[in-house]
This record gives sequence, structure tokens and C-alpha cells, in this order.
Amino acid sequence: MSDLSDAGLRRRAGDLPPATAELVDEATVCEITEQAWLALVGEDEVLVPLPAPLPAETLSSWVEIVGPWTGAVVLTCGRDTALDLTRALLGEHAPQEVEQEDVDDALGELANVVGGNVKAVLPGPSVLGLPEVGTTPPSGREADSVRVAVLWRGSPLTVRVQSVLAERENEVPL
Amino acid sequence: MTVRALVIDDSRAMRRIVSGTLEGFGYETRQAGHGQEALDVLHEGWVPDLCTIDWNMPVMDGLQFVNAVRANPAWRPVTLMMVTSESEHGQIVRALAAGAHEYVIKPFTADAIRDKLALLGLLPQEVSL
Repeated sequence: MSDLSDAGLRRRAGDLPPATAELVDEATVCEITEQAWLALVGEDEVLVPLPAPLPAETLSSWVEIVGPWTGAVVLTCGRDTALDLTRALLGEHAPQEVEQEDVDDALGELANVVGGNVKAVLPGPSVLGLPEVGTTPPSGREADSVRVAVLWRGSPLTVRVQSVLAERENEVPL
Repeated sequence: MTVRALVIDDSRAMRRIVSGTLEGFGYETRQAGHGQEALDVLHEGWVPDLCTIDWNMPVMDGLQFVNAVRANPAWRPVTLMMVTSESEHGQIVRALAAGAHEYVIKPFTADAIRDKLALLGLLPQEVSL
């Protein structure tokens, strides 16, 4: 009988996938986010790479990526910032009164665009999920994440690329 | 003659942005929130010159929509342009192989859309490059 582990059909306990930080760095995430901002939010909308505490009430949008690397790309900002972002993103197409649905949609699309481009630099092939929006983003492995903190119009926001594979630490057979 | 475009994206914000860009180029536009809704527009007889198509959408995704359009000979003249954040090389190849004519990766600029339309011969003459 063949030894499956020697045949390479089992993943050894120590064979963890590469850490997220080995696959994508802060500078790349920051550059992707800046490109999304310039194209979607406005040509003059600069992101300043300066960490600042997020307000108590935040809103997050995220997309999940499933593939050789599995996790989520999460965008988080204050609720007021999310509203301002929506107005900026819609520009002249913004309705007179921006509704929560518009905010969720705009924030979700920003996560979608940033996530799609982050996915492109991660090992593939992988699948991009539909954007989700809420106050509680998926929990990931804090230790296995890349986090970028910036200021937009003086307000803080973060982009986090986080693995969600805590259970893989104990995984052996495939 | 007016050029018509159907903008297909599950994000209302993105539909507004793409529609606004195309209308700025002189297009008449309609919008659909997913592939099935877009097919319904085509079936009702509003056949556009151009469809801009997001990839990841609920109900029917962009690739399924491309396949459905290409399966109907009556819709062969419709130009299909993917406008999506899916930027993996393999995905681009899949979309083009299925029958999409062009591929624009989000985020994009109005200039990028204009350049693609010019390549496709779908830029109204009054819009200068």
C-alpha cells in the first residue's frame, strides 16, 4: 500500500499556505486603493497614508476571494465618511437625497474594485464573491492580514486583506 | 443616428457612472442590474449597438450573458464590452473566447472607455479623440 503522505497527496501539518504578507504587500494594496479612488471617487481625491483611529460607528464593505488564497478584502470607514464617499462617487449623478441603499451600493462597489485588483496579484485562479456591506465584516486571522490605513479628506479609512483560514492550521488530509 | 448602449452592472453607482460617460459621448442608454434583466431588454426588442457588462452579478453573471447573446444569431451585431474588476489574465481570455469584443478593467477612466469605443468604431463622429 502506498504512503499517501510520501506521494504528496496529503498536506503535512506544517505545510501552511504562504502568509498573506508574503503574497501582497502594503504598498501594492495602497496603490490599488489609490487607483480606485482616482478613477471612481475623483481625479483630485488623494489618499494620505496616515493611520488614524476609526470613529465608533463604522461601516464596512467586503468581497471574499476563494482560491489558493482564501480570504476577504475589507474596506472600513466611518458612517459619515461612507456618505461623503457615496456623494463623491456618484458626482453629478447623485440623487437629491442619498439613501442608505446608495451608500451600501457605492461602498460595495469600491470594495469590489479594490478586491478584484487585489485578487489579480494573489495566486490564482480564484473566484471573487459579490460585495457585501455591514457593520460586522467577516472575522479573519488578524495575524495573517495586510492592513492599510489612510486619510481621505481628513477622515480615516482602512483596507484590510485578511486570510480566513484559521481552521487550516489543523488541516492535514486533503 | 443615435448609438444605443445597454449598461449591465449590479451596482447602481457603477451603472450611473458608465451610463453618464456614454451619454456624454452621445449614446442613448438603458440599464440592467444583471444578465437576465439585460436579456429581457433584448427580448423586448430594444437591441443596442453596445453592451457594457460587469462580470460578477447575481442571477446571471456577465459571462453567462455573453454566451446567451452569442447563441442568438439575431444579436450578432451587438458589440459586447466587459467592464469589470476581474483582471486575471485567464478571465480575460475566457470572456474574449466566449465572444466579448473588448475588456475594460475597473477602475477605468472616461478616456479609457472613449479609446476602446474608438477602436470598436462606436464613437460618434462628433466626439473628438
